[in-house]
Amino acid sequence: MKRFFVGLLACASAQAALLGSVSVGGVRPDLFILLLFFLSSRVSPEAATLQGFVLGLCQDALSGGPLGLRGFTFAFFGFLTAWLSHDLATERPVTQFWLLLTGAAGAGVLTFVLLTFFFEVFPLLPALAVIGPEAVYTAVVGFLLLRLPRVRATFARQT
Amino acid sequence: MFWRLVARHRRGVVLSIVLLGAFLLLTVQVRHDRAVVSFVRQAILFTVAPFIKLTAMTAGGAGAVWRDYVDLRKVRQDNLRLQREAAFLQQRIDQLEEQALETRRLQGLLAMRETWRADYLAARVVGKDATNWFKTILIDRGSRSGLRRNLPVVAPDGLVGRVVEVTPSTAKVQLITDPVSAAGALMQRTRVTGIVSGHLDAGLRIRYLPLLADVAAGDEVVTSGMGGVFPKGIPVGRVISVERKSGALFQEAALQPKVDLGRLEEVLILMGTEQREGFESRNRGLP
Repeated sequence: MKRFFVGLLACASAQAALLGSVSVGGVRPDLFILLLFFLSSRVSPEAATLQGFVLGLCQDALSGGPLGLRGFTFAFFGFLTAWLSHDLATERPVTQFWLLLTGAAGAGVLTFVLLTFFFEVFPLLPALAVIGPEAVYTAVVGFLLLRLPRVRATFARQT
Repeated sequence: MFWRLVARHRRGVVLSIVLLGAFLLLTVQVRHDRAVVSFVRQAILFTVAPFIKLTAMTAGGAGAVWRDYVDLRKVRQDNLRLQREAAFLQQRIDQLEEQALETRRLQGLLAMRETWRADYLAARVVGKDATNWFKTILIDRGSRSGLRRNLPVVAPDGLVGRVVEVTPSTAKVQLITDPVSAAGALMQRTRVTGIVSGHLDAGLRIRYLPLLADVAAGDEVVTSGMGGVFPKGIPVGRVISVERKSGALFQEAALQPKVDLGRLEEVLILMGTEQREGFESRNRGLP
């Protein structure tokens, strides 16, 4: 629990205060998705759902979006990641990259669907221009983080 | 029997309850802006904002230390003293250049303050939106400094946005390029009114312009004062292209924002409604 909240605070601070300097074309990697991905693979699906919801609420509070938007998305993806973690456990770098990419893109698509359902102000093409680069950037950063020996060891222990 | 069933399908039950909760939360915000949602949002922001401010400050300090370290690593043994002196002088130059740039920015803010004759509060940008979907910034002033929701935020070049969330020490500002923001605006040359709204690509559009209105690339767009949030006459952007779709009731135009919203470091918040008269009187002489 303590580790979760420390991770959450670190992630929120880095996302809001630091990542502006590494944005490419206005797109930044989503550290919340990476934290969700790393945390969910070591807990039960129920706990991952709740952790995802809290992570999402925090991201919503720090963004201009409605409260619950990312909460819904991350709760769903936290559950999915924890549920499939044993099947998805892999040491192969290429597979890890594709899993991160698919997860980030899936979270983006679900966010778009919810925004369209509730607001109807988000056209598809510009949304894809956000979802695609964000998913790729997030997957690349996650992939590089997994190459760090310590993160790699922790992640291997979790899975 | 019921509890046994719940325990058996615990995973599904937890997922359903959380998803339903999130869905209801979204529904509540679409239908009414309930106080409880605002309270939760402010509570999270209140908890996290100090860490964000601390991170921003630490990152600034660490950057300077890193630059010094990199400089020092390049120093050779035989000319250590000269290198140090050069590094020191370079640092001084950097500091002075930074001060000069800051002075220029602040002079711009001051000039605007004097020109528009309104009461302003200066604030530093300490954070950006946590997602790529919305365009908001976090500033280092909050309710302790007198900020409240819907106060207009400007920069020397023009309109930045409005305050949407306030905690005691920070506030969240929705930029005009946010996809869910809107502001009443008018074309400075022809006085045709429309609504400026943001776009996902961080651009700006002015919509609901009458189909026969004279709108051309290069036209300046300013706030119209309608809507009660933004005072009249604040520069918003310049028309880049005009779109007239066949069968449409209105025409719309893409705008280049006056302010470089991606590089904001300091902003001014317009305090109080009575001072907004300054904008109106300044623009009364316009055609």
